[in-house]
Amino acid sequence: MENKDYKNNFISNEIGYLAKILDTEMTISERMKIKKSSVKKIFGALIVYFSIIAIFSIIL
Amino acid sequence: MIEFIPVIIILAFLFETMDSCAGMGFGTGLTPLLLIMGYDPLQVVPILLISEAITGFTSGFFHNEFENVKFKLKKPYNKETKIMFTIAISGCIAIIFSVFLTYFAIKIDKNIIKTYVAVLVLIMGIIAVIRLKSRSNTYKPKLLLSFSGLAGFNKGIGAGGYGPVVMLGQIFSGIYEKTATAIVSLSEGIVSVVGVASFLLLPLITNQVLEIDFILLPSVFTGGFIAALVSPYLVRIFPNKMWQVVIPSYAIGIGIYLLAKLYIL
Repeated sequence: MENKDYKNNFISNEIGYLAKILDTEMTISERMKIKKSSVKKIFGALIVYFSIIAIFSIIL
Repeated sequence: MIEFIPVIIILAFLFETMDSCAGMGFGTGLTPLLLIMGYDPLQVVPILLISEAITGFTSGFFHNEFENVKFKLKKPYNKETKIMFTIAISGCIAIIFSVFLTYFAIKIDKNIIKTYVAVLVLIMGIIAVIRLKSRSNTYKPKLLLSFSGLAGFNKGIGAGGYGPVVMLGQIFSGIYEKTATAIVSLSEGIVSVVGVASFLLLPLITNQVLEIDFILLPSVFTGGFIAALVSPYLVRIFPNKMWQVVIPSYAIGIGIYLLAKLYIL
């Protein structure tokens, strides 16, 4: 029983590990900074958005 | 020529922002509101499913990018990915079951089951607020499986409330709020893809012509997509302590809204 609790506690720490680290080791202003690669991915997502809207305007 | 309706874009943005931040509310909140505004169910339900299918994946991707969660889509899957699949599978089975109910025209008193879900969400929200100080962070896999099953059952019988039950179920099972939100977002995307497929296959099975009106799609999709980019970032920057309060409070709000819609509005 104790072993099972220990295992589940270990798994709890494993789930959301990165988010917990960001919360405990960074301030809000530090968390506001995002990687350049993330900015590129946001632009990529916007291109996907405009492509989908273009498809809608053709098929709808 | 596609048409953009500003008020629908704003509503979709607000509800999807809350859905991607708190793991609930897009379908449960926006559907009744659009129906009250005079839109037909066939103008609303499939459109929300199509939009949620795309925004769910987008939101899940950016939750991963902003490190609210770490999905691993190659074997061996990590725990977060396994939980996401568990929740998604229960939702997919539920969607197919609800199509089966529609196909065989099995009648269930909608008011009774909708009251049951509204009360369930309300009670779960209240319990989540009460246990804020005494919460245990130990992972409870069996409890998570039970709540996924319960949420799937509710969706399957057409009562909705899948997001709130599965989200609060994760929190009760010891999952970190920020990560739970990310898990629900991606699993809702998968469930919505199956939902769209069910909607398209339903007319083939029943030999009926299902005329879906796509007038709301560009507006709902635009508001939802922008929210799916913004929300994971908001989840990242605000501390988990804030989401611990926001999520159950929003669930209580949804429960009250559902009851008000049934008995007052």
